[in-house]
Amino acid sequence: MIKCDALAQNGKDEHSAANGIRRSYNRDDAPRSKLPVMSESEINPDSRLRLFEELIIPHLDAAHNLARWLTRNEQDACDVVQEAYLRAFRFFDGYKGGNGKYWLLEIVRNTCFTWLRRERRSLHVVPFDEQAHCSVPEANQEDALVDASDLTVLRKCIDTLPEAFREVVVMRELEEMSYRQIAEVSSLPIGTVMSRLSRARKRLEECASGRIVESDK
Amino acid sequence: MNCSNDLIEAYMDGELDPASKAAVEEHLSTCQACLEAHARFRKQSASIRAAAPYYPAPAHLQQSVREALRRTAVNERPAAVRNTPWRWVAIAATVLLAISVSWNVRRPQTQAGETDLIAQNVLSDHIRSMIGTHLLDVPSTDQHTVKPWFNGKLDFSPDVKDFASQGFPLIGGRLDYLTGRTVAALVYRRRQHVINLFTWPSDSTPVDESHFSRNGYNAVHWTYRSMTCWAVSDIGMNELEQFKDLYEK
Repeated sequence: MIKCDALAQNGKDEHSAANGIRRSYNRDDAPRSKLPVMSESEINPDSRLRLFEELIIPHLDAAHNLARWLTRNEQDACDVVQEAYLRAFRFFDGYKGGNGKYWLLEIVRNTCFTWLRRERRSLHVVPFDEQAHCSVPEANQEDALVDASDLTVLRKCIDTLPEAFREVVVMRELEEMSYRQIAEVSSLPIGTVMSRLSRARKRLEECASGRIVESDK
Repeated sequence: MNCSNDLIEAYMDGELDPASKAAVEEHLSTCQACLEAHARFRKQSASIRAAAPYYPAPAHLQQSVREALRRTAVNERPAAVRNTPWRWVAIAATVLLAISVSWNVRRPQTQAGETDLIAQNVLSDHIRSMIGTHLLDVPSTDQHTVKPWFNGKLDFSPDVKDFASQGFPLIGGRLDYLTGRTVAALVYRRRQHVINLFTWPSDSTPVDESHFSRNGYNAVHWTYRSMTCWAVSDIGMNELEQFKDLYEK
């Protein structure tokens, strides 16, 4: 079993090697660049919808991917994305330009976490259980024996990462977002993003090697 | 440079500024341990990308999202909504409900009780304006656009001022319905927060300033040049006070 040091909440999380991290970003990168602030005509509901569709609908794949990885279920991901889009439309006046993708992902992420909290409450499950979240799921050991390819194992390891770690891995490796963009979307300091990503990678390494050794027996 | 996994990861993620990047590269050329760590991180990153599928949205999701958005947008089209008699039925029902509820809960109406009742309505109205999308009939940051817009729609002309330079920019106005009459709602922004300023001619003697709070929303009530004013927002009471002082200047 992999040892789980109390994650996220502890002070160490804030630690960072932020020295040397890029401070300047090009225009596309900057999450809150001063791009077109909505003019009066755009507040008209019809053009508001058009503008929203034009700027925010193109990021549906990114929204779905993040929701799918956080909820780990297709139907739930679709529900969450739909809810997030309606929420985004309602808050569209607060969108100040910049890359709509990160603005949307922030809303998708919050909707996911609200949804996950609700789900846990209805299942009467303790919100964070170290054992459940940090150990390799035992029920799947047989699967591992049958299909022990490294990638399948790694995939399962990602799936069983605590959400705080899973989301940074997905945003970094699958969405190829910069630390700054991840920090924006998850409302975390850059140092926290770095240390979570680093710890997530360490966990994945331990998890994957643990599983492979296990399945080799 | 000392060995640091953090730096190697940041290097791999393309997050280093040119100087640090050069320093890491130089270090990697001499340090076998770090070179191996770097290779390990790269291999892991590639494995993660290979192992973890990217889940694009299924086609039906795009369709259902678009449909849901259209439905929402149609509901908020002001002209369509405002022309239906249902809107007035809904308003009347809301007002009646508010009155009947407070009637049951409340002792006989005193002046204070009446102000309390208005406070409740004003707070609810503010919240409704935020939930729905009918925040603005006339979206404009120009007081000379907003003020004339009310001409002919009200039997008074509200005092419209802009406080953009003081951090309370005007963003527009709308007609609203309170205490059995049509009133002017002027909408301001304070950072990300919205302030609704309801105003209509006062029909009683000037009142002292009073404050109300409910569920995290604050309201200030005062009389200014024989107009009743209510400012409502989720900003702190002191900022709302500041806003009121600006409006009175």
